Amino acid sequence: MTEASTPEHVPAPQTEIQGQTLVAAEGQSVPDVADVLIVGAGASGAAVAWRLAQAGFSVVCLEQGRWINPSLYPTNERNWEILGRHDWNWDPNRRRNPEDYPVNDSESAITPLMFAAVGGSTIHWTAHAPRFHPSDFRVKSLDDVADDWPFTYDDLEPYYDLNDLMMGCSGINGDPAVPPRSPRPMPPLPLGEDGKRMAGAFDRLGWHWWPSDNYVNSTPYLGRDACNYCGPVGFGCTRKAKSSTDVTYWPEAIRLGAVVKTHARVSEITVGSDGRATGANYLDREGTVHHQAARSVVVAGNGVGTPRTLLMSKSDAHPDGLLNSSGLVGKNLMFHPYSITTGLIPDLSETWKGPMGNILMCQEFYETDLARDFVRGYAFQFNRGSGPVNTSLGGAHEPVKWGAGHHEDFAERFGHVVTMAGIGEDLPELHNTVTLDDKLTDSNGLPAPKVTYTLSENSRRLMSHSVRSATRALEEAGATRIMANPLLRSGGWHLMGTARMGEDPERSVVNQWCQAHDADNIFVVDGSVFVTAGAVNPTPTLQAIALRAADYIAHEREDLKG
Amino acid sequence: MPTSDGQLTPADRTVLTHVLDQIIPPDGDFPGAGGLGLAERVERSSQRSARLRSALLSVLDALSLDISSRAEGGYAALEAERQISALTTVESSLPEQFAGFIELVYETYYTDDRVYKRIGWAGRPPQPEGFDLDPWDPAILENTRKRAPFWRQPA
Ligand SMILES: Cc1cc2nc3c(=O)[nH]c(=O)nc-3n(C[C@H](O)[C@H](O)[C@H](O)COP(=O)(O)OP(=O)(O)OC[C@H]3O[C@@H](n4cnc5c(N)ncnc54)[C@H](O)[C@@H]3O)c2cc1C
Repeated sequence: MTEASTPEHVPAPQTEIQGQTLVAAEGQSVPDVADVLIVGAGASGAAVAWRLAQAGFSVVCLEQGRWINPSLYPTNERNWEILGRHDWNWDPNRRRNPEDYPVNDSESAITPLMFAAVGGSTIHWTAHAPRFHPSDFRVKSLDDVADDWPFTYDDLEPYYDLNDLMMGCSGINGDPAVPPRSPRPMPPLPLGEDGKRMAGAFDRLGWHWWPSDNYVNSTPYLGRDACNYCGPVGFGCTRKAKSSTDVTYWPEAIRLGAVVKTHARVSEITVGSDGRATGANYLDREGTVHHQAARSVVVAGNGVGTPRTLLMSKSDAHPDGLLNSSGLVGKNLMFHPYSITTGLIPDLSETWKGPMGNILMCQEFYETDLARDFVRGYAFQFNRGSGPVNTSLGGAHEPVKWGAGHHEDFAERFGHVVTMAGIGEDLPELHNTVTLDDKLTDSNGLPAPKVTYTLSENSRRLMSHSVRSATRALEEAGATRIMANPLLRSGGWHLMGTARMGEDPERSVVNQWCQAHDADNIFVVDGSVFVTAGAVNPTPTLQAIALRAADYIAHEREDLKG
Repeated sequence: MPTSDGQLTPADRTVLTHVLDQIIPPDGDFPGAGGLGLAERVERSSQRSARLRSALLSVLDALSLDISSRAEGGYAALEAERQISALTTVESSLPEQFAGFIELVYETYYTDDRVYKRIGWAGRPPQPEGFDLDPWDPAILENTRKRAPFWRQPA
């Protein structure tokens, strides 16, 4: 375990070489053979790069996306709503940037959302940063469903703490829904009038609520500004008040010697005749193939990108795709199904003021209650209203009606919207998968992932329950009209389970240190390794797991150093 | 009817203006989307995405093929009620394209400065100004703090 330290600067792209951009400290060269090659520069890859660079490993990260200057985000533009709906859409199939891969989601009830860049999907995320509960790691023992994790909440806690310091967490102690924990470095973000209204409603109902943990600065932190509550945090933060890994882990990792090659799309992780990794083949912006040699490979491409990369990496030693002797690469895909219930509260106004999500959280229905018709549970998050375009188009609901009544419908919604998002625990099921599509390809002609996903009966019941509870709370808060969507299709923010961890090589892909059962110099560190999904946002957990795996490499795998 | 290479004719633009006034009608003395002269911007904005462009062309195409309106001198010549019912028919026969068309019209209307003023939206970029919120006050937690811990401790 190590201390968090202050990022001194955000490095600018340094060198352009034949279609690639190197992001590296001045004078830093790229090793011919890296100790650690990381695939993907998002939430988890960044954490591993920082920790291993700090431990003296030479680190090269290959990222298919680019380095983005935060001043280019839509929130600096008047037409930010339009940019957010098109060029910066959360859905890669809508955005269609050449650095994204498309996803065939025609057989999925939920559309996966992600971003390709240094920072990965944290460029877009809303930075809600709750932790899993201790019970989430023990669902088999407690509720006889799915499997227990190979470690406990207590094992992960120090890494949660470290990640909170590195990413910068705003929040407050004392929440009775979760275990006591070390203090956050910043106080909570203000609740706003809408948050206070909901808090009052929960108090009257006797339901739990607590201000959300946010990786958004409530005060200046480690050289980054405090949030000024502009709203659309999900399209990138020009002030760097929202923590994305391009402004937290990466500047530090790069200062410590890590190198990122951008526009570098890994087509195959290469292996020797012994089946161990030797590096990776990747394509640059012009489509030229290169090879980066490495003593070990850490895969951090997210719950869809990672199985895709592993399945593309077929070899004699791994004929069904890399690390796939168990057949579980790409299986057990979990999302968090979301229900969206929106209340229109006439005596609240301008509910677009403040970060678009993460005001407060209600965990009244989190733990299993045998009196209900489902196991496990769900949490509530709160979202704010939006600008006129997004209001008129309804968000998760029907657009404002056209024709007669249009203006009345718009006026009833605009500035009066309070949304409760029910986030449910999905359980792993073998038939929910990521596979390689046999037709669709990315801009380099590599197979795109196909996602096949159906909502289980348990999740469906859990979502219905969440709509009923949300309706009650919104009515208590003074809503005069309620709109409900029991399953948000475009809500695949959280991608988990597709290379699960466990101690049994026949029933899992990696062990508790994220090390592959099939090759001791390959690690998978993103949400793919989740055994179960919990019912809160996964990123602090997946970053804590990545830091724990990196600590293991730093302490136990000196042999990987050249 | 849009030309075979997907361009709008002058007649299409006239139809579009009438359609816009039915989709977002006048509000008191404030003109509808057609009266605001948004047809040209709708056409231009449709270039943003192949999906929206195809939605625009499909809706105009469907309206121009409407046999009863053709008999009466085309969509623009119809009474308001007939214009609305022609649109309702397109909405049910081409739901996806019609939804894309609505998206395009709303995106255009709700980014117009005159509309911003009317609905009380500042129309500035979110940054660098942001907004003010009352500071965080921990007193609001009084109730929840009284509650005993209720998370489950695994054995
Ligand atoms: C709009 C949005 C809002 C969200 N809000 C929250 C939130 O509030 N709280 C929360 O906890 N989570 C949230 N999430 C989810 C969160 O962003 C992810 O859980 C997290 O970023 C996952 O981290 P990761 O490292 O697994 O993958 P990512 O951050 O997605 O990074 C993976 C990187 O790998 C790269 N990559 C993939 N394959 C290859 C390849 N073959 N070659 C080269 N590069 C490759 C990708 O380009 C990408 O940059 C949100 C996500 C979105 C999209």
